[in-house]
Amino acid sequence: MSAEEIDRIRDEALAALRAAATLEELDEARTRRLGKRSALAELQRTLGGLEPDARRELGAAINAVRGELAEAEAARRRELEEERDRVVLAAEAVDVTLPPRRPATGHLHPVAETMEAMLDVLTGLGYAVVEGPEVETDWHNFDALNTPPDHPARSLNDTIYVHRLDGVEAVADDGSTGVLLRTQTSPMQIRAMLASEPPLYVAVPGRVYRSDTPDATHLPMFHQIEGLAVDTDLSFADLKGSLEVAARALLGDDVALRFRPHFFPFTEPSCELDAWYGGRWIELLGAGMVHPNVLAAGGYDPEEVQGFAWGMGVDRMAMLRHDIADLRLFVENDLRFLSSL
Amino acid sequence: MRVPLSWLRDFVDVDLPAEELAELLTMGGIEVEAIERPTGGARGVRVAEVLSMAPVEGSRKLHRAEVSDGEETLEVVAGAANFGPGDRVAWAKPGSVLPGGFEIGRRTMMGVTSNGMLASARELGVGEDHTGIWRLEPDAPVGADVVDWLDLDDAVLVLEVTPDRGYGLSLHGLARDVAALTGAALRLPEPVAPSGDPGVPVTIADPERCPRFDARRIEGVTVGPSPAWLQRRLAAAGMRPVSNVVDATNAALLETGNPIHAYDLALLSGPEIVVRLAEDGETLTTLDGIERRLDADDLLICDGDGPVALAGVMGGEATEINDATTEVLLEVANFSARTVLRSARRHGLHTEGSKRWERQVPPETARLAATRCAELITATAGGQVTGGADHYPRPPERPRIRLRTARARSRLGLDLDAAAQQGLLERLGCAVRPDGEDLEVTPPDYRPDLVGEVDLQEELVRLHGYERVPSRVPSTGQVGARTPEHEARRAVRRALAGGGWTEIMPFPFTALEDLDALGLAADDRRREAVALVNPLSKEETVLRTSMVPSLLRVLRHNVNRQHHDLALFEVGRVYLPPTGDEPAADGGPDGVALPAEPPVLGLAACGAFVPARHDRPARAGDVFDLLGAIDVVRDAVGRPPLEATPTSEAPFHPGRAARLALDGVDLGAVGELHPRVAEAFEVPPRTLVGELRLADLLAGGVRPRRAVVPSPRPPIRFDVAVVVDEATPAGEVAEAVLAGAGPTAVACDLFDVYRGASVGQGRKSLAYRLRLEDAEAVLGEDDEAAAIDRVAEAVAERVGGVLRR
Repeated sequence: MSAEEIDRIRDEALAALRAAATLEELDEARTRRLGKRSALAELQRTLGGLEPDARRELGAAINAVRGELAEAEAARRRELEEERDRVVLAAEAVDVTLPPRRPATGHLHPVAETMEAMLDVLTGLGYAVVEGPEVETDWHNFDALNTPPDHPARSLNDTIYVHRLDGVEAVADDGSTGVLLRTQTSPMQIRAMLASEPPLYVAVPGRVYRSDTPDATHLPMFHQIEGLAVDTDLSFADLKGSLEVAARALLGDDVALRFRPHFFPFTEPSCELDAWYGGRWIELLGAGMVHPNVLAAGGYDPEEVQGFAWGMGVDRMAMLRHDIADLRLFVENDLRFLSSL
Repeated sequence: MRVPLSWLRDFVDVDLPAEELAELLTMGGIEVEAIERPTGGARGVRVAEVLSMAPVEGSRKLHRAEVSDGEETLEVVAGAANFGPGDRVAWAKPGSVLPGGFEIGRRTMMGVTSNGMLASARELGVGEDHTGIWRLEPDAPVGADVVDWLDLDDAVLVLEVTPDRGYGLSLHGLARDVAALTGAALRLPEPVAPSGDPGVPVTIADPERCPRFDARRIEGVTVGPSPAWLQRRLAAAGMRPVSNVVDATNAALLETGNPIHAYDLALLSGPEIVVRLAEDGETLTTLDGIERRLDADDLLICDGDGPVALAGVMGGEATEINDATTEVLLEVANFSARTVLRSARRHGLHTEGSKRWERQVPPETARLAATRCAELITATAGGQVTGGADHYPRPPERPRIRLRTARARSRLGLDLDAAAQQGLLERLGCAVRPDGEDLEVTPPDYRPDLVGEVDLQEELVRLHGYERVPSRVPSTGQVGARTPEHEARRAVRRALAGGGWTEIMPFPFTALEDLDALGLAADDRRREAVALVNPLSKEETVLRTSMVPSLLRVLRHNVNRQHHDLALFEVGRVYLPPTGDEPAADGGPDGVALPAEPPVLGLAACGAFVPARHDRPARAGDVFDLLGAIDVVRDAVGRPPLEATPTSEAPFHPGRAARLALDGVDLGAVGELHPRVAEAFEVPPRTLVGELRLADLLAGGVRPRRAVVPSPRPPIRFDVAVVVDEATPAGEVAEAVLAGAGPTAVACDLFDVYRGASVGQGRKSLAYRLRLEDAEAVLGEDDEAAAIDRVAEAVAERVGGVLRR
């Protein structure tokens, strides 16, 4: 067997492998050129009849060719596979600008979420969150909060009263019944004090009601968060510091704030906290040092403890957060509005 | 309260610009809501004298007037004829500007050139009168610039006065506060005691309700318009100028804060004036022309014939000041806040007077108010004070308040020593006597609101400045947290929103008719709704006992706005008579019965639950979406699946609703709305609703979950198909399959339901895919075969089923 013969087998096989146009042709070429019945295999079978030296020489030559052919076959296979992938994957292309397929998701109400965000701040300050009834006695809502009997807030113009549950027809001349929809979260100050001993640090989120016709800035139902801190030595300075921290957490560290004197029957001194927002002062909350009469109504000794309280409007904060000018959007429950937030 | 700044400056030497004064007052506790300049912007208007007047030829209305301001004499055409030669008028000359920027030029009307115009009171922004030319008083200075002469550029501060600061409703009180806040000098007039015969003796029958009555008699008055400056000030302060006598009472009211009533003395009938409570059947026709039936609780001023005024609220029509009045009796009295408040409310009459009485007017103010009013009347209406009497039977003791200065420091967080505190209180006009570290404080007369130690503490911090109190954040000594129930509620809300449901927030009111429309039984607890005394609308007369009506209202609202695919939820409350399981909150010392307010989850949906896409059709929601939402909810709080049982109750479709229970405790029901109920509420057919009591699900908060440790050995999976009677609930079949498969079964999923000839009439085939896992042993074909045998046995025994093999 001449070296030319081997070279010829090699050259023909290499040409056949390289000429394969498809993976199928390549498989065929491989079987023909490298398989059991290939010229190379036949050549190998002749080895047994050769002298040791010749056998060694030819064997080495065959192995070299076999290696070379396997490499050529693999290279061509890579080329053909790449080509196949290119075509197939191109055919499988989709239009990724079609609308995404989202899992169905709903939305949480902006007022509820604002309330939770505010509670996050207050729990961070160490306040325990408690809740109370919306239908209240006028004792909790007014009397215990140091509100005089003839105070205008008690009138039907301001307060929604309900008929008594015990069936007794007890509507007074002025419409009051002793049972009402709480006009503020403040009655929970009394309930919280009656329920636990000082020191007391609580935040009370909840719905409150007023006898208001809905307009852009009034709703008959809205939300407040009441805060109450009672301890042995709390002062107006603690009130200021606590509310400043809370307001900054909600509106940003740079927000300008001012405490302005105000009046509430259940605190003295009293104040309102304004924030400079959108080019004007916005009233954020009313606050003050808890009036001694209120501490006493809650079963605390005003000579032993002192503290501060505040009530902040949640709906108004939600208006600021979402840049909304009309409160009625919150209760209209239009999905176009709710799903935008 | 509207405060013309020029008027305030009569009483205190403060020359701050309006904006700075407003800031000072606001930060001092009297909020300035706005600064207005209602007459600002006028230029070039002169006081002029009318020289002659004649009708414009060919016009029935127009007159030509020759007017002079001392510099020039020109002709002006006027549409009114309420003036004549010799009258002084406000002449807006050509080139002048009226308040609001309205420019005046030359105009020709009916062939006559009008050189500017003669202004009405309204055109100058002074009052409402537009019936004619504004006739100024005869001694108005001809040639004067009306802007300067009437101070038309004056700023008006609009105040929001809190109920505790009654003094803020008087110029004197405000001047005192400005002085206390700035140290500026006060300039208040001195009261003069009355003397001489008041004309009619006064008897106070009820000194509790009327502690003081200062009567003054003025004779020889001529009723007519007030001078222009007074009209301008009153109008700026928000009061309509009426006549010199009436305007004087209003001006004195604004200055001193003490309401005053003037009677035509000639119309009062003797022999005396009595201040007493009304008697049954008495009536009074008040100044507004309305005859009022009086209540035994109404305090009256009466003459010999009966009531002539409702004390502190409004005077009577019969004795009011009129054009012919020459003799005036001033009533400068003091009435208790409660008396006036109740009368004002009873008669729906909220006047400038009642507003002040309700905030307490100190009796000490009466004499000064009487002095000032009489002075103004004689100055503007002529006449002279010929008599008077000041009845003040029981001047009250001035309160003395003990102020513990250490306690003030502690409560205010302010480092103010006793001397500094004394100094601040003295700025208010308090008489202060130090007693060791305490101060004994007698507040000034004009501050009846200062009655206790905390009132003085508030004054201290207010005068010192809220902004000067340091800021400190206390340590609460506790970890702030929501209650576990609150956390669980939040988890429920978030899970639902994540699952495609949108949270709504309707008013919790409904109408009793809504409960009828739900088809509730007559004895249903939900019919015991708490009724509102003063509902806001006919549709919202009771507190809701069920969430369903409010959910359906929101659904309908959105469907009407072409939003057809909805999945809504609310986590809120319903209001029901309390029970042992659902107790009410404590009713306070009077034991008032309150309703229970259990927390409830409401669900409502209609239309497609999975919306259509280009590659997929829509899928309508059904009861399984509701059950899915409920399963999401219970999973969110770490509770086991609820037990569902069919129900045919209202308001549901009898075959498409389920009651749900947790550990055997009923929580509520979900289902498709009964078609008739859907019609009644005008919501789409097949609307879905559900209502679930949350208390048991939320109790204890979100439960910690027990981890499943996966078996290291491979599971085996196989399917079984169970043929049962059509009526057998799938839940029972699944239970039987699981029970049969044994403790190694970790999953049992229904993947096919088949009905057809091969399973027999009235039968169905339920196919389940089971997965068995054993941490200890490798499961093989033998285990599978054994499990299938056990399942066959279990379904035969429990639900009469047969395995399809």
